[in-house]
Amino acid sequence: MHASDLETTLPLVDRGTPVLDAARMIAGERLPVLVITDDKGRPAAVISAVDVLGLLIPSYLRDDTSLSGVLDENGSDEVWAEARGHTVGELLDDEGVDVHDLLTVEPDATLVEVATLMAAARASVALVTGGPPRFVTLPALTDAILRLSDRSSGDDA
Amino acid sequence: MTLQIALALAVFVGAYVLIATEKVPRATVALGAAAAMLLIGATDDHGIFFSESTGIDWNVIFLLLGMMMIVGILRQSGAFEFVAIWAAKRARGRPFVVMVMLILITAVISALLDNVTTVLLVAPVTLLICSRLAVPPAPFLIVEVMASNIGGTATLIGDPPNIIIASRAGLTFTDFVVNVLPIVAVLLVVFVGMAWLLFRKELVYDADRARRVMALNEREAIRDIPLLAKSLGVIALVLAGFVLQSRIHLEPAEVALLGAGLLVILTRLEPRTIFADVEWETLLFFAGLFVMVGGLVNLGIIDRIGRSVAGAVGGNYPAAAVGLLVGSAVISGVIDNIPYVATMAPLVQGLVEAGGHAAQPLWWALTLGADLGGNATAVGASANVVVLGIARRYGHPISFWTFTRYGLLVTGTTIALTIPYLLLRYF
Repeated sequence: MHASDLETTLPLVDRGTPVLDAARMIAGERLPVLVITDDKGRPAAVISAVDVLGLLIPSYLRDDTSLSGVLDENGSDEVWAEARGHTVGELLDDEGVDVHDLLTVEPDATLVEVATLMAAARASVALVTGGPPRFVTLPALTDAILRLSDRSSGDDA
Repeated sequence: MTLQIALALAVFVGAYVLIATEKVPRATVALGAAAAMLLIGATDDHGIFFSESTGIDWNVIFLLLGMMMIVGILRQSGAFEFVAIWAAKRARGRPFVVMVMLILITAVISALLDNVTTVLLVAPVTLLICSRLAVPPAPFLIVEVMASNIGGTATLIGDPPNIIIASRAGLTFTDFVVNVLPIVAVLLVVFVGMAWLLFRKELVYDADRARRVMALNEREAIRDIPLLAKSLGVIALVLAGFVLQSRIHLEPAEVALLGAGLLVILTRLEPRTIFADVEWETLLFFAGLFVMVGGLVNLGIIDRIGRSVAGAVGGNYPAAAVGLLVGSAVISGVIDNIPYVATMAPLVQGLVEAGGHAAQPLWWALTLGADLGGNATAVGASANVVVLGIARRYGHPISFWTFTRYGLLVTGTTIALTIPYLLLRYF
């Protein structure tokens, strides 16, 4: 089995994407990460869903978590309202957010090769090079590993 | 001038330029300069580690370390956030009264903690309150960092230059309270008036927004009541230790380390939490600076400059104090006041030793000038740089010139008021 056998499409966002739209993508498609494109629309970087969650919250609450409890229900609603107007670009510029370079794998990379590279880079997603943007995701990879593992267990028995 | 002295001066000037331009991390510069001093023979292992006058001042390093540990543990409790929100509610959400409360809280906290830690503690809760009040946070952040620089002047532990000065001059916590606190209290009152003049138009009261501040529940900010009680108890003991320093015969560093150790035992926190706020880079920066300046002392450069200055001063210490105050304020407005004071301390020490009691106020002139001068520009103090960074990250940028415009006004006023204080009180 090779990377090309596991590849799938993922929604792409750019710097101008409103953060609430990004959050909707994560919620709707259960994404662990978001792939961000560069100025030319090419996949360039990856941010985690948790970092997107962080952008929904004002920076001062992230810096001082003890303040989150002092707000009542109305105050909490206003916090979500404040998230409107923020974009993914702001997330990329935030010093507290880890923006990872996109890991790339060759289409003919073996399962072991893809798993090793993703584990070493602590990446949940890898871009398969060549052709339109398609990705190997962590769930697809672990699913394939488990299937192969189950099959080899059956063979041993 | 020998080649060794020329090289030492080159190292010193080069290090200052690099620190001022911030092209290279300041700890790297200071340690590099210290290594260069060692290589050119301006100091040696004994001088670096065991000489009180020309080596690393361990009293300064360990006082900072102890206080950083105590602060790191205390800030886990949520006490500062509690006090700030409580104060905003006591002000009934009236923006200027809230600002005054935050100025006073910041100044008091800053007298006990270092200025950068203070603004890092106060900034998030300020943003929360401003967001509730729908008022611009930039004026609040500006007055808070300035209050921090003014409040930090008041005590031995309030600002790192004071720790250096106290160590070099043999001054106690009480000496600072008696000699500096009175003028700092006056300056704070004047500063509140200036804040009203400068920012009143931006602080519009809105009854609906004020209700949103009143709806905040400050009790929820307290995360760990036992931790809070233990931390406050230990801080009270540490402050008592500082005040009774001469009676209990313990150096400030010993008091701070005993307090930090007691707090570690009482709280049983993870080492990662205990040391989270320890700025190792800052401590190494201090160590490097002491070795670098110690090299100049060893080669007799500071002594020579001191004798020239003493000759120029003659016995006119009032003029010397005013010159030192104003000169320190100007220089500290442009460069970091820590290396400035580290360099000036042995120089002033020489003048005070030569002049005796009459020259003693020079220490206060250096303290007040170096600390208050930090308000002059956006780069005058580390806390200013930190606040500008926070403001930018929170989406309310404060430009260099916006800060500096207010800073020059505040520094000019505070220094102008300090001149008659020094002259009337000491001469």
